[in-house]
Amino acid sequence: MDNSILRLPAEQLFEEELNALIKAEKDPIPEGWRMSPRSVKTYICGGKVGKTVITPKYIGHERLVEIAIATLVTDRALLLIGEPGTAKSWLSEHLTAAINGNSSRVIQGTAGTTEEQIRYSWNYAMLIANGPSEEAMLKSPVFTAMEDGAIARVEEISRCASEVQDTLISLLSEKRISVPELSLEVPAKKGFSIIATANTRDKGVNDMSAALKRRFNIVVLPAPETLEEEMNIVKTRVEQLSENLDLNAALPKDEVIEKICTIFRELRKGETLDKKQKLKTTAGVLSTAEAISLLCNSMALAGSFGNGEISDEDIAAGLQGAVVKDDDKDGVAWKEYLENIMKKRGMAWSGLYNACRELNE
Amino acid sequence: MINFFGIRHLSPAGAFYLRQYLDGIKPELVIIEAPNDFEDTVQDIVRNETKPPFAILAYTQTVPVRTVLYPFAEYSPEYQAILWCYENNVRLQFMDIPSKTFLALSDMKIRQAEQADEIDEDEQRPDVYELISEKSIDGSHETFWERTLEHCENYEAYREGANLFGENIRAFSEKDGFDAEETAMREIHMRSVLRSAVKSGISPEKIVAVTGAYHVEGLKSWETEEELPEFPEIPSLHTLMPYSYYRLSTRSGYGAGNNAPAYYELIKDGLQKGDRLYHANAYLSKIAEKMRENGNAASSAQVIEAMRLACSLAKMRGGNIPTLRDLRDAAQTCIGEGSFAAISVACADTEIGTKIGELPDGVSRTSIQDDFYRLLKELKLEKYRSVTSQELRLDLRENLRASTEKSAFLDLNRSFFLHKLRVLGMNFAQLIGNTQTNATWVEAWNLCWTPESEIVLVESALKGDTVELAASFQIKETVEQAQEMPVIAKAVDDAFCCGLPTAISYAVSALQAAAVDAVSFEELARTAFSLSNVISYGDIRKADCSAVEPILKQLYYRACLIMGSACVCNDDASKAIAEAIDMLNSVELAQGFLETEKWITALKEVSSRDDLNTKLSGLCTAILLERNKMTNDELKTEVSRRLSKGVPADLGAGWFEGLTLKNRYGLIARLSLWESLDEYINSLDEEEFKRALVFLRRAFADFSANEKDSIAENLGEIWGLNGAQVSEVLNAELDEAAKEMIDGLSDFDFDL
Repeated sequence: MDNSILRLPAEQLFEEELNALIKAEKDPIPEGWRMSPRSVKTYICGGKVGKTVITPKYIGHERLVEIAIATLVTDRALLLIGEPGTAKSWLSEHLTAAINGNSSRVIQGTAGTTEEQIRYSWNYAMLIANGPSEEAMLKSPVFTAMEDGAIARVEEISRCASEVQDTLISLLSEKRISVPELSLEVPAKKGFSIIATANTRDKGVNDMSAALKRRFNIVVLPAPETLEEEMNIVKTRVEQLSENLDLNAALPKDEVIEKICTIFRELRKGETLDKKQKLKTTAGVLSTAEAISLLCNSMALAGSFGNGEISDEDIAAGLQGAVVKDDDKDGVAWKEYLENIMKKRGMAWSGLYNACRELNE
Repeated sequence: MINFFGIRHLSPAGAFYLRQYLDGIKPELVIIEAPNDFEDTVQDIVRNETKPPFAILAYTQTVPVRTVLYPFAEYSPEYQAILWCYENNVRLQFMDIPSKTFLALSDMKIRQAEQADEIDEDEQRPDVYELISEKSIDGSHETFWERTLEHCENYEAYREGANLFGENIRAFSEKDGFDAEETAMREIHMRSVLRSAVKSGISPEKIVAVTGAYHVEGLKSWETEEELPEFPEIPSLHTLMPYSYYRLSTRSGYGAGNNAPAYYELIKDGLQKGDRLYHANAYLSKIAEKMRENGNAASSAQVIEAMRLACSLAKMRGGNIPTLRDLRDAAQTCIGEGSFAAISVACADTEIGTKIGELPDGVSRTSIQDDFYRLLKELKLEKYRSVTSQELRLDLRENLRASTEKSAFLDLNRSFFLHKLRVLGMNFAQLIGNTQTNATWVEAWNLCWTPESEIVLVESALKGDTVELAASFQIKETVEQAQEMPVIAKAVDDAFCCGLPTAISYAVSALQAAAVDAVSFEELARTAFSLSNVISYGDIRKADCSAVEPILKQLYYRACLIMGSACVCNDDASKAIAEAIDMLNSVELAQGFLETEKWITALKEVSSRDDLNTKLSGLCTAILLERNKMTNDELKTEVSRRLSKGVPADLGAGWFEGLTLKNRYGLIARLSLWESLDEYINSLDEEEFKRALVFLRRAFADFSANEKDSIAENLGEIWGLNGAQVSEVLNAELDEAAKEMIDGLSDFDFDL
């Protein structure tokens, strides 16, 4: 593995696991896939193949993973919906890594995404010089996916303008792409599909049309159900990330992760874990992903400016930034949380409480 | 060797393959695992008019009532075996311990559990079904069973699979404890029945024993002679009763029921049609149909996609036929667009369904049913026992033209009867709210008969042998379990409505006991209010209310005493207390035997104290005014005191708001009040006025336009203005400057 690369794609990062799974394959493999649906599930949810331990990539809700994989076995496209930070893109990346060994056929949906980016565009120098030809064509990831019988990913589809989204309708129902300039029709090979992700917070920005929605099987990814599950996710991811990033700090202790997850879950839900007290919620989402980056951030602080152990001050700095985003109200909610909940949690929390309070004075 | 066919009690494949199996073996005797004293119900079960689901209910005749219930659906293997025997004229026998022994055992078990109520949870071994759930690829023993057994391709596979399943469950079940003993006892009994059947001369090859898969292994040793233990007994009765899919689904757990009866019926249909994907197609189509019925979009394309997804989900789990779980997940993904909430109603309809069983008339007859039908006839209510809902208006007064006493009070007796049914929770009779207020002698009912009513009626047999006894029992039970005083007061009210003197005295004494404990002012007031209703209605219901009067007195005095302290509260809480004060006032007005002086003193106290919630003080002042216990001069002093300059404007306006809660016309008519208000407003400086204005505006917010007009006229009179001119000014459009000023008030900062 090349260590100088900041972030390796999933298929390279977990190459060994993928190879082990492919080697040990016993079940029938759908056309265009590298392994059977069951092995894909093992890759995502973890398990053991021969002597190789497969690390879980997505924790909790195995059934949803099954539904997602089963969707791709039929020729339907898959739409993953969820709050920000519920591992939608993460899941889609790993699905394509396992199924095709290539997670890089991505279109990032933005307000500026154009129809050409979804279908094809031209190398204008060549177009003007030689006229339209296949060489002058710049194929989009969706185009190449159709040619190769692979899966293309469309991230944040609901951020694209509606007319751009609707380009996908004909691609998904006809399963062919036409290039009128070259009087060419490219049919999709078996195995072609699309995984799109959309954010529930973006609802109403560019709502997907009913026609497009109908061509997707929709899987809603929820926030982790229990504290233990969320802690498990955070722990696993922080370990993986810190390995890659050389943070020079010790991994956070379990009680630190528990504290962070508790705070995030409570503020997210608007009540304490024991359901005895109501709280103000914040405008920010406080997703699991944010908890992970908060801890990595704290580790970086501890590694670069501290003694390598995450201190309460390191966490407090991260928490302040994560909870209080831009809204004044978040600040109020956070202060209330500090005084009403955290302060009363006793000795174990007092260090963190003091560190947080100092930042708020 | 006796032929054993292991089953699960509700299993479409079991029911279907059992018939094939019986056709193949052609037995001379079929023995079924069911209490052997239930054999007398068979003649009714096989009748054409009997439509499953139905159940056999056995219950003890002694208190406390214990019950066992044997529900049957069309896809119960036992039911199909019974039908098969009837159609082929083959002898049928039940072999389980009699229901009276079952009841005795369950009685012992409950008593034991009550004695040792603290069982250490950690020491309990995990349930064997939980183990299956954990170990199976599907993560649920229901799905495991469905995938492995309900979708078997032939009866050999089912029989072997079920027997193996039973054997394994047996191996992992508890070896000691009460349940194991009970099982051992049942199996000894069943073995002895098998033995005597063979002894009677039928060759074992010609006997088929239909039993829960669990028991197959235990019954194989039937040949060994063994001594029968003594079977405990409790006197009991049993009856057939109609049952419903809904009730079946709520009795989850092995053997007793299953949680998706309508879905299982689809599997049964599929087996009969020979179409192994029928249930899947039907399930998804039905969901789509129900979605459309509820006004949601669900296209055929979505159903097709869901079907494909369900099949590929089943394949991932190593099956070919989708199970309920696969189907539901597929429906959620493709039809519900990822959210279960979108399809939940359709799912409930499709999985549980609304099917209700039927029995021929006269089959299900417990003593309470006899009593019910007798009363129905006696009270001339028979024509209301129909499925179309009919309204019945009752006049509870004595009919003076009637010749006999019975007919003179017909309506009253009807009312007693219907109230008893209401207390028993039968949906046959629904009380419609009184249309004419204060007409204590009119009552309107909506009567509509459903099979569900019959089920509730049969179940009420457990509470008593007659409608009257059952209703008293129900009221007593409510009283015993009641945590709050108003619940008991409601029970007293119920007892009065039902005309049950013993229940009344029981409930009243319970109420007395509860009243000794500290309760809040609101509870006292609400209780007093419902007791007062009882007393007012008592006369018309020919009831003796003398027992209630002392307790009402007691509650009333208590309420008067603690009212002052209850009025220390914030504005949120004041609403409930205001209602309570109002209730107590009407209680005092309605019941002449209560000492008025006490109430007036309490009102005066709250009215004059400054440290209470001002809104409540205002309300008490209003009540005093209404009852003419306050002179104009006194009011004037009070107004100027409450609204004087030193008082924060919000408190003053809160008081005024309280004052306007009652008898507005009376207030509007009192010129002196408006004079005082005028003086108050004049005394304020600019800033204070703004503050008061906001609160006063709130106080007058729910006055009607007419009332506001009258107030304006009053003020106009005080200022010596002409009514017409005032009206003209008031009703004119606001000009820009005024609008701006009013808008400015929205930004008024009260914290200054």
